[in-house]
Amino acid sequence: MRARDVVITGLGTAVAGAGGPETLLRGPVAGGDDPVTRLRGPGLRYKDRATRLALCAARDALADAGLPEALDAPEGTEGGGGPLVDGLRFGVVVSTNWGNVDTVCETSATIHRAGYTATSPMLLPNTASNVTASWVAITHGLRGANVTLCNGPTSGLDAVHWARTLIAAGRLDHALVIGVEPVNEPVRRLVGTGGPGLFDGAVSLVAEAAPAAAARGARPLARVGPYARRADPDAAVAAVRADEPAAPARWYVPEGRPAGGDTGPAGLPAHDLSLRWGRSSGALGVLQCVAGTAELARTGQAAALASAGGEGDDGAAALLLLAATAAGAGA
Amino acid sequence: MNVLVTGMGAVSSVGGDARATFAALAQGRSGLAELRGFDRSRFRARHAYEIDDRPAPGTDVPLRATGWLLRAVAEALADAGLAGDLTGVPVLVGTTLRELRSVELNWCEGAPFDAARLHFGTALRERFGADRTYTVANACSASLYALGLGTDLLETGEADTVVVAGVDTITESTYGLLDRVYREAPESVRPFDRGRRGMLQGDGAAAVVLRRGPGAPAGARAYATVRGVGLNCDAYHPSAPDSGSIGRVMREAHRRAGIKPADVDLVLLHGTGTPLNDEAEARALGEVFAGVPRPPRMTAVKSMIGHTAGASGLHSLITAVQALHSGRVPPTLGLDEPIDEVAGFRLAREPVTERGMSLAQVDSFGFGGLNAVAVVEKVS
Repeated sequence: MRARDVVITGLGTAVAGAGGPETLLRGPVAGGDDPVTRLRGPGLRYKDRATRLALCAARDALADAGLPEALDAPEGTEGGGGPLVDGLRFGVVVSTNWGNVDTVCETSATIHRAGYTATSPMLLPNTASNVTASWVAITHGLRGANVTLCNGPTSGLDAVHWARTLIAAGRLDHALVIGVEPVNEPVRRLVGTGGPGLFDGAVSLVAEAAPAAAARGARPLARVGPYARRADPDAAVAAVRADEPAAPARWYVPEGRPAGGDTGPAGLPAHDLSLRWGRSSGALGVLQCVAGTAELARTGQAAALASAGGEGDDGAAALLLLAATAAGAGA
Repeated sequence: MNVLVTGMGAVSSVGGDARATFAALAQGRSGLAELRGFDRSRFRARHAYEIDDRPAPGTDVPLRATGWLLRAVAEALADAGLAGDLTGVPVLVGTTLRELRSVELNWCEGAPFDAARLHFGTALRERFGADRTYTVANACSASLYALGLGTDLLETGEADTVVVAGVDTITESTYGLLDRVYREAPESVRPFDRGRRGMLQGDGAAAVVLRRGPGAPAGARAYATVRGVGLNCDAYHPSAPDSGSIGRVMREAHRRAGIKPADVDLVLLHGTGTPLNDEAEARALGEVFAGVPRPPRMTAVKSMIGHTAGASGLHSLITAVQALHSGRVPPTLGLDEPIDEVAGFRLAREPVTERGMSLAQVDSFGFGGLNAVAVVEKVS
């Protein structure tokens, strides 16, 4: 494994009806509990739904990666990061499009109805679209670069790309990547509820520089392969496959792709996760990577292809996930 | 490899382009005015730094922020001698509030709005053919954070040219919540003054074109090099700053730039005029620049254009570059009685001229403890 390789070492899901990352390909089980009911602690009342969902997924991904829950606790104490994980080198990349639309709509409606005195001052941070990423950082002591992408249909794959770039540029050794979309009345009105419905949940993965993961004895589940963003979806897919000999065993297609069916245009088995989990917008790319990583780790397949954004969108992104072992895990 | 700034564009309450904005700032002209965008009966605060390009008084329309962004980017591209086609060129847009003002107009007044325009890639694709666009919602440090991400793309060899921009407009929800939070409504932004009451928002956009050096490409000039950008997160509080973490990101920017604090000639301060920010920033600067025989010149342009949020970091950077070239340092308005923490700093209430400056530090901090600090150097 090369020094600049970025590996995925942990996965988390906070989606009603999903039992964990390995169940994402199967679809929801009826009657699943709302994951945010698992959260405890002070200050929950003023956290928006996107933040609550993201906190659940983040906690699970850190635990799955074998990382402590609080990176800024003193070394040697319970929860302390220890000598091998430095909170200053641990960043956060969140992807969401509808995350704080509820606070903005409800607050402006309150002001229209009853003036500024009727608002709650505790909601001020929630008006900024980075509020989820900042609560994740505060909760776990992650003091490296912290980025929120609100980038339309490709946003989740873009987030994985930026986590890898921040690591490759030497800013971070570890990054928590989260894709989250909440469902509430302002979101329904803005986005519409047609098609397969709306995804309400969060998914998360831990990305690490391969040497940093190896140094702490972490088990790599997959490697982050080539990424491209282009005007045309086919061009994005062709770009990531151009230099990569490994043939993907599965293709996670953009949501609502008209072709549908079980086979993609390149003859690959196709998965439209929105048919199982609803239209997931900014969460989609991370959802694809979490599902794909779990599948690669389980089957030992060589690669999985994720793509988001299609005709009519402002751009399309594609990303290859590669088997962790192809280049010698832990080397 | 170095990172060159080859084009600049800006829109603000004091000017419609980068040069007009700097000319106003260098004269100490403010964009402060009575609130025009919202029904004043709903607020206690009375002022803002708006770009009032609405079709008629009291009539707001969606997508004004997008319009300013496109203008700033077009100006920067023309300034850099680039054609208006951005196919394959990464464009990073830093913003706090995206097109959420349009979402408010849609929710409260039924104005038509397509959710695909909440991020800026849709408009950038239509106007410039841009297909590698990223809307980075990193609160009030967003455009300087985006600058750091843009330099990473150049340094890792992913691109030879990158456009970095920032934009924000004032939303009714944020204006009202700030009004709710402050004890008394600010009448102006008065960074580092004892009488400061808080921030007032400003409208605006800014953009720069970055190219991989060593030298400027044929047909282009270089204004400055971006020597280094430090990025971090306090992981401390959703809105209150942490001066220790701010000091750390300043040192990180210096380390990446390969400079010592004594090398800095000019600091464009974040300087929001909120009690907490100014104290934390001043304390961090005091520590980082301790022992420097002659501290740098400093100024805070939010005293004239308000807090332009996601655009503010690049507004400061573009001001810094023009100040290094002209020797003209814009004043910090409203600084009647400086707080103790800035004693000994070279802040001025009046415009000053200082020759021979070459290196500037630009501060930008945001909610969630998002800190970005850039070091830029004049190219003569």
